[in-house]
Amino acid sequence: MIRGVDVGLAACHTCELVVNLGGSRDGAEATCPRCHARVRFRKARAGTHVTALLIAAVALYLPANALTMMYTEEFPMRRADTILSGVKFLWQQGSPGLAVIVFAASILVPLLKLAALGFLVVTAKRHSGWRPRTRTKLYRVLEVIGYWSMLDVFVVSLLTAVVQLGRFAHIAPGPAVLPFAGVVVLTMLASASFDARTLWDRGSA
Amino acid sequence: MSAHGAGAVIASGPSVVRLELVLCSYCDTVHRRVDVASRKTLRCAVCDSPLYRSNGDLGAMLAATVTAVVGFAIANASPLLTLTAQGQQTRATLWRAIVASYDTELPFVSAALSLTLIIAPALELGLLLWVLVPLCLRARPIAFASTMRMLRALRPWRMIEVFLLGVVVAVVKLSGLATALPGWGLFGIAVMSFALAALASFDQGALWRRADEVAR
Repeated sequence: MIRGVDVGLAACHTCELVVNLGGSRDGAEATCPRCHARVRFRKARAGTHVTALLIAAVALYLPANALTMMYTEEFPMRRADTILSGVKFLWQQGSPGLAVIVFAASILVPLLKLAALGFLVVTAKRHSGWRPRTRTKLYRVLEVIGYWSMLDVFVVSLLTAVVQLGRFAHIAPGPAVLPFAGVVVLTMLASASFDARTLWDRGSA
Repeated sequence: MSAHGAGAVIASGPSVVRLELVLCSYCDTVHRRVDVASRKTLRCAVCDSPLYRSNGDLGAMLAATVTAVVGFAIANASPLLTLTAQGQQTRATLWRAIVASYDTELPFVSAALSLTLIIAPALELGLLLWVLVPLCLRARPIAFASTMRMLRALRPWRMIEVFLLGVVVAVVKLSGLATALPGWGLFGIAVMSFALAALASFDQGALWRRADEVAR
C-alpha cells in the first residue's frame, strides 16, 4: 500500500482535496487551490499540543470528581452530591439503567479518554509497531464518545432551572461543574489535536 | 492502487491537484476514488476507517436540514418539561435553563449552554441552508469555502443530542420531588437530533464537487 507522505501527496484538512506537496518531507506546505486552507503532511506539533491539553485535563479531573456537583434542598432535607453519589442516588431511586449511563458518561468516559489519549501519544512518539489498526480504532471510538461526558452539566443546569422557580425545593450547581466541563472541553480539544496518521509513521525519514 | 495512474490532474499555482485520489485521514493510505451506486460507507483497506460515503444527494441533505430547523424552532418555542408539585406548575424552556444558570452565578456554565445548545446549532443550520439552497439551484454560494470551514469548526460544539439524554435523566431525577412531564420542546430536540444524525451520513465532499461543477 502506498502512503500519501511517501509520494508527496497530502489531503486538505478542510475540503479533502488531494494536493501534491512535492518530494520534500515534513516541513512541506502548500495552500489548497480549492479552499485556500494550509495543506500539510501532518498536523503541526500534534504530540506537544495533545500532551499539554492532557496534563491540564488530568489536573481538573480530581476536583471535578471530589467536589460537589449539585446541592439539593428539600425542606428539611439537604444533600450535596458529587458525581459518584449522584449516580448512587439515581440507582437507589429505581433507575439503574440511567445510573449506568450517567456513570459511563461522567466517570468512565473521561477516565478512558485521558488514559487512551496518553497511550496513543506515547506509542506514536515512540513509533511503536504494536497493532496500529487497533490503536486507530481506539482513536475513532474516542472521537465519537468524547462529548457525551457533557451529560451531567446539562442535567444539573436543567434541574437548577426547573426547581429554582418552585418554592418546594431548591437545587443549585456546585463548584465541581466548572472543572468538570473543563475536563470535557480539554479532552475534546486534545483528541482533535491528535493526528492518527502518526500511529502509522515508521521512524523519522 | 498506484499513486501514479492516469486521471484528472489539474495544475493550479505551485501545487498539483489529484481529483481521482482519496487519502485515508487516519493512516495516510492512497486510494483511488470509485463511484458506487448504492448508499455505502467506503472504508480504508489498511485501517478500516471510513474513507468517504457514496451518498451525495444534495436535495436529501437540504430536506434533512429543513427538518432539523423545524425541530430546532419547536425546541426553542416550547417547554422541555413541566413540573407539578403542591399545586404549583413550572415550565422549563431551553432559554430559562440558560438564564437560571446565569442567575446562580455560573456565567461560564451559561456560556457553555448557550454555545452548545443555541449558538452552535443555530449557526450550523443557518450556514447549511446558506450553502445547500444555492447549490441545489446550481449556483455557487457566496463565501463558500469560508462557510464550509466554519461548518467544520462548529460541528464538535453542537451537543443537542447529549442534551436530549440530559432532559430524560432530569425527568427521572425529579420524579422523587414532583411530577415531571416531558413537553413538546423535548420532541423538537429529538427531531433535530435525528435529522442532524441523518445529515452526518451523507458525503460532505459532494458539496465541494457540486461547487466545482457550477463554478466552471
